[in-house]
Amino acid sequence: MGETVRGKPWNPYIAGALAGLLLVLSVYATGKYFGASTTFVRAAGMIEQTVAAERVAAMPYFMKEAPKIDWQWMFVAGILLGSLAAALGSGTFRLKAVPDLYASRFGPSPGKRFGVAFLGGAVAMFGARLADG
Amino acid sequence: MQLIFGLITGILFGILLQRAEVIRYDRQLGALLLKDMTIVKFMLSTILVGMVGVYLLVDLDLAKLSIKPLILGGNILGGLIFGAGWALLGYCPGTAAAAVGEGRLDALAGLAGMLLGAAVFAEAYPALKATVLTWGDFGKVTLPQLMDRHHWVVIPWFVVLGVALLRWLHKRGL
Repeated sequence: MGETVRGKPWNPYIAGALAGLLLVLSVYATGKYFGASTTFVRAAGMIEQTVAAERVAAMPYFMKEAPKIDWQWMFVAGILLGSLAAALGSGTFRLKAVPDLYASRFGPSPGKRFGVAFLGGAVAMFGARLADG
Repeated sequence: MQLIFGLITGILFGILLQRAEVIRYDRQLGALLLKDMTIVKFMLSTILVGMVGVYLLVDLDLAKLSIKPLILGGNILGGLIFGAGWALLGYCPGTAAAAVGEGRLDALAGLAGMLLGAAVFAEAYPALKATVLTWGDFGKVTLPQLMDRHHWVVIPWFVVLGVALLRWLHKRGL
């Protein structure tokens, strides 16, 4: 019983409103608005730097979004850690390769799902950067 | 100090996302299929509270707006491409990181894809900047500016319409 109460999802209106308050506090304290996609540009630049530092340094987009760890980079890392802590604390952590809804339509193959997810991630990120976040 | 603030803010946001179950593939696809509006309820609540709070801070001279440029070419094409990718992946960039946190391995493949997508965009940026990103460029504008109204005339309308939409979704059991 304690298990089910612990794992019960929070009301989305209240959780969403709290996220709004968190945003307002963040803007007040540091002037930072929430975002995630720029971090992937910086991380990609950091990876590319290890093999082609000069090339990265000469690319206009990496001059605009320098390959370094900043507020948003830590924010995205924090999201992962906060979710991990909440999942473990509420007993809702599940190692899972294929989502139920996906499996019911496209089958249980993890390889196929990973391929679709990888492609989707690449397309989504290109679009997000084109639209500027 | 900025980095520590970023980490703490992210951890708190990650807890809210995970506990409200908005980072799950089934919920995100549920929204795209117009069958489960949990993520819309969460996002709209965040936007309404954030909008009122941030404009209060701005009026009190305690904060500055961070306005993204309105470039129709980039916003519309980018939005369409993002939507297609989001539907394939089932997580957006922030929620993919959160989904990895609750053990979703497919989100890890999504994060890897996002790094590739970001790298490809960085390669294409000079060409895009000279073409798509010049189409319909209105600069950094806000809706109140475009409508030539004070922001406190526009904000109540957004709150009323937002709450009405949430009530409607709630009544329909979405």
